[in-house]
Amino acid sequence: MDKPRVAFFDFASCEGDQLQIVNLEEDLLKVVGAVDVVSFREAMKGHSDNYDIAFVEGSITRRSDEPRLLEIRKNAKILVAIGACATIGGVNLLKNFQDLESVRKFVYGDKFFQYETYPARPIKAVVPVDLEIHQCPINRDEFVMAFKALLMGKKPEFPNYPVCEDCKKAENICVFEMGMTCMGPVTRAGCGACCVVEGSVCWGCRGFIDHPNADSEREVLAKYGLSVGDILKKFRLYTGFSEVSK
Amino acid sequence: MYHADPPEVTKKLREMFYSAHYVHSHIAHFYALAAPDFVLGPDADPAVRNILGVVDKVGLPIGGEVIKHRGIAQDIQVMIAGRSTHLVWTLPGGVSKGITEEERAQIEEKAKSCVEFSKFTLQLFDDVVLKNKAYVDLILSEPYQLKTYYMGLVDQNDKVNFYDGKIKVVDPEGKEVAKYTPSEYLDNIAEHVEPWSYLKFPYLKKVGWKGFVDGKESGVYRAAPAARLNAASGMATPLAQEAYEKYITTLGKPVHATLANHWARVIELMYASERLLELAQDKSITDPNVRILPTETPTEGVGVVEAPRGTLYHHYKTDKNGFVEKANLIVGTTNNHAPISMSIKKAAMGLIKKGQVISNGILNMIEMAFRAYDPCFSCATHSLPGQMPLKLTIYDIHGKVVEQLERA
Ligand code: SF4
Ligand code: SF4
Ligand code: SF4
Repeated sequence: MDKPRVAFFDFASCEGDQLQIVNLEEDLLKVVGAVDVVSFREAMKGHSDNYDIAFVEGSITRRSDEPRLLEIRKNAKILVAIGACATIGGVNLLKNFQDLESVRKFVYGDKFFQYETYPARPIKAVVPVDLEIHQCPINRDEFVMAFKALLMGKKPEFPNYPVCEDCKKAENICVFEMGMTCMGPVTRAGCGACCVVEGSVCWGCRGFIDHPNADSEREVLAKYGLSVGDILKKFRLYTGFSEVSK
Repeated sequence: MYHADPPEVTKKLREMFYSAHYVHSHIAHFYALAAPDFVLGPDADPAVRNILGVVDKVGLPIGGEVIKHRGIAQDIQVMIAGRSTHLVWTLPGGVSKGITEEERAQIEEKAKSCVEFSKFTLQLFDDVVLKNKAYVDLILSEPYQLKTYYMGLVDQNDKVNFYDGKIKVVDPEGKEVAKYTPSEYLDNIAEHVEPWSYLKFPYLKKVGWKGFVDGKESGVYRAAPAARLNAASGMATPLAQEAYEKYITTLGKPVHATLANHWARVIELMYASERLLELAQDKSITDPNVRILPTETPTEGVGVVEAPRGTLYHHYKTDKNGFVEKANLIVGTTNNHAPISMSIKKAAMGLIKKGQVISNGILNMIEMAFRAYDPCFSCATHSLPGQMPLKLTIYDIHGKVVEQLERA
């Protein structure tokens, strides 16, 4: 049997997710050995229309990105979005809540009009996505798990319960008890609540669980002293797209 | 920004984390992205001119060592900070957790192994590159030279430092022209924009932007390994210093050869490993008091470190709650954006001759000019699966296309 042909693509991203894949070290050789990697950056002519699985990192931030993504969608049997930028829009979305002209002026000064941009969006806002591997950056073990499942023709299972569950299993003290606030109650678990373990809070990078109780989360944040503006900022860091896509 | 100076132990922990980062970053660049050109030759068949080809040539156990030490360095990062990419361990005033004596001892063992591996890598560079006159000539050949200003962070003794210090700039003759603290960066650097790139082109403000040209009159400067070694007067650890002396004796100073970045990178790999070991042997590093609580209202701050790919500036302005209102970053590769463009142009002009058939080897040698700078870009051009799509168009003086070569 021919090995599945795999291609990697990126749009607006920091390449942190592809870096996680490169950083698989020993597992990388196994991953690369099980497939034919036909592209790692950009569609390579002559190869590009012949791949089975496309991994796409990053969000779409320009209209001119769309044809390239449509082409990838057309060519790939399975399209996998990797990392928060691709799955939920990620931090790129922060610019959507500001005036795009002044954002560009801030960066490029009076030549701002030369630089194309439009509101950032996740991959699924432009083309149908078959699978999403969440987190910023993706978790190496989860990637390997999903990768193996794909090779076996199975759909990998991801948790659909909140980070708080992982957090309890990790025996953390809830940060709400320590005067901080957290997006864990509405965020999809699977990361082992690693940010809380490492001494921080959950920022929500794995996106919402399927039916988040966002109202209750807002109430809790308000109870712990956050203003409406601050609550919005909390929600917009990673999950701002759900606000506009409704 | 928070006006909080973290405890000494925190600075050491952060530097230790950062040294480990250098170890795996420099190993990746050297073995996966630079070594194929030298071990297999610049015009070797692209199908074998990759990390697997290198492993094939130098032996499987070496390939294992490369992967092992990249893994080791990342393990150290995970041990210190929970993860190696996008960590959340750093906090205003310190870090969220320290390390235990047991972890310190483990890191010490791992660091020793990294020092040994760095010795091996320096030796490999010596055997494969320096003992081959054709390669040394290639490094020193005109198409790969640019005479620019150089930038790098230095400590109080004027030695290369990745984590802390002052930013020093030397001119194309190696003379110091600026030494400033992070918060003074805007007095020293400005950024040029071009409509054909989202990435800006930083230049030395006091010299000015004169276009894509080198020389003393042009504000174009370079950062990253060779530039750091040009800006400083040496390395702060013994084996790295020894290697630095050999480098300077062979190539002179300042080094204008773009391809010398590979050698400088291996010297820095040694420094990072030695520094990692020094810090791991510092018993005070297990001090649990790793954070002071900031008490002042946050305002504005600039932080600078040497990223593997060049001087990295982060500038933030916040509201009174610490929410970022303005941010400006100049990241490693950005510093080198103008020089990268110039190096590619110069290599192309020097290597492509009238009436000559353009071979894959020549295409690769043009790419080498650009690969020398930066792992981010070089991943694109030389990573495991093979090649990036490269399109070369030769125009005549009237703008008519004479030849076009495309590599899939
Ligand atoms: S999800 Fe995170 S790691 Fe991935 S591209 Fe976006 S910012 Fe980078
Ligand atoms: S710290 Fe966050 S994730 Fe953990 S239990 Fe509390 S709210 Fe949930
Ligand atoms: S704890 Fe929250 S922010 Fe951290 S990785 Fe998990 S989902 Fe993302």
